[in-house]
Amino acid sequence: MLVPVPRFFFFPSFIVPLREGYCLVVSAQLLLPVAPCPYPLRSAHMFPLSFNPAQPEITDLIVQHDPATLERLPVNKNQVLDTFATFRNHQALAAVRAIPARDAVLDPQAVDRLMLTVHWEMQRLAEEFFHGQRIYELLKVVLNALQANGIERPIRVVDVGCGIGYAIRWLAARTPLASQGVELVGVDLNATLIREATRLAAAEDLPCRFLHGDAFSAQHAGHVYLSTGVLHHFRGHAFHYLLRRHDLPDTAAFLHYDFRPWVLAPLGSWFFHILRMRTAIARHDGVLSTARAYTGEMLATSSRNALEDFSSGIYGANIWGTPLPRVFHTLLGMRRRLLPAFRAGLGVRAIRLGEMV
Amino acid sequence: MTLLILYLLASLDGLLCGCRTSMGRCPLIRLRSYYARALVRGFAAAQIASIIAAVALACVLRFAPHRSELVLDLQSAARRMLWIFLPYAAAVLFSLALRLLPSTDVRSASSVFFLGPLTAIRPFLMFVGILFGIYSARFWETRLLGLTVLTLMLSIEAVLNRLASLRQSLEISSLV
Repeated sequence: MLVPVPRFFFFPSFIVPLREGYCLVVSAQLLLPVAPCPYPLRSAHMFPLSFNPAQPEITDLIVQHDPATLERLPVNKNQVLDTFATFRNHQALAAVRAIPARDAVLDPQAVDRLMLTVHWEMQRLAEEFFHGQRIYELLKVVLNALQANGIERPIRVVDVGCGIGYAIRWLAARTPLASQGVELVGVDLNATLIREATRLAAAEDLPCRFLHGDAFSAQHAGHVYLSTGVLHHFRGHAFHYLLRRHDLPDTAAFLHYDFRPWVLAPLGSWFFHILRMRTAIARHDGVLSTARAYTGEMLATSSRNALEDFSSGIYGANIWGTPLPRVFHTLLGMRRRLLPAFRAGLGVRAIRLGEMV
Repeated sequence: MTLLILYLLASLDGLLCGCRTSMGRCPLIRLRSYYARALVRGFAAAQIASIIAAVALACVLRFAPHRSELVLDLQSAARRMLWIFLPYAAAVLFSLALRLLPSTDVRSASSVFFLGPLTAIRPFLMFVGILFGIYSARFWETRLLGLTVLTLMLSIEAVLNRLASLRQSLEISSLV
């Protein structure tokens, strides 16, 4: 269990008062003697009160869609503010207050502009961490395993919650996949982001497509699913349901990249975001993401429970086989018959593959 | 020679400021020409700052009653500044060189462990470097010039950032 310490910036050896409502939550052993925890916090790490993982991210709340029709829904600003007030999250409150509203409803145009600004910024993170290359290194081994098992091309790779489609556009621009019979598709519920992804792909004449809709629906289903920083947005039953939806007739594998939680991740992320990000929302949500991210064990266990016909595990948890954690790890899953060819194809990178069950 | 080195360091700083202030503002994949333009803007900003500093220096020297002593004082202050700025520039160039290695892990780590922290300490280091240079200066003109250079150096990034932000806002407004 973790404990928030109001108005203190907490380090293991000393305490420095900070501004109102801003505090750090440190690992269980250090904080248990200080105060009881009012929130059901999951991972025992260091992060400010604003980054209590029990709360949603700002971008989870300021854009809402009807789950059936995918139509954009009006968002009541006061309800969003109330949510963050419950968590005494002053950073989120300030960021949401700054968004214009009409009749207490968030201005959709202002929200869309903000979302584009945030996603442009987030792309920088992917660029700095060479995320495209990381995906390609693993994806090509998965695709080869599919081919070795008689799954004929074209193979459809679907990026779930693609946003402005960095991963898919990078694969289209920098790899020969599209010319090798791999269809690169990005799917997102946010129509504005999909329009932007389509515009950007057209601007560089990239062989990929972006679709507004449900990535697991019959019309958009893929042979391989991938995502980046999406899994932690799904909590509880929604997370289990998301995993179960991979069990489609044609789906053979999935690669879901997300932050790897560890003791210094929120602090490192905070430092990185303060330096690199400019919008308050990107700074807030970026750090909260690391606090909300699932552990590798949790991801793998959930996947194994949800998908009996798949073999699941974590890829790339540590750097070069050392205990040093990577910023991102990958929940990897594939039909069991693909595993031998996949393992063989990994070569020296097999050291990065955890237990596949 | 000292002045030339300071000018080169200012130009390098301008280049990197131009690049840094443009990052995260263009969502294309092929960004070579975008960053090339950003570097040119940064370099141009550094040239403007250098010209302003050179004009200020010329004015001070023109009207100083003790010109030869002031020149020695300025040279001595500039040499002291290099004790701070040169190691910093070397560290930045070293971390940039690490990004040439073919390992994604090493390149990412260079960003997290070197470039990020070095960026974070830049304003503080500018401040320390200039203060270290002018702290033991004999003439007020030297101190004034040092503070002028500090203001110019810190302004480069702020101005470039403001301009890049305006460009980005206009572009996004045209999209939504």
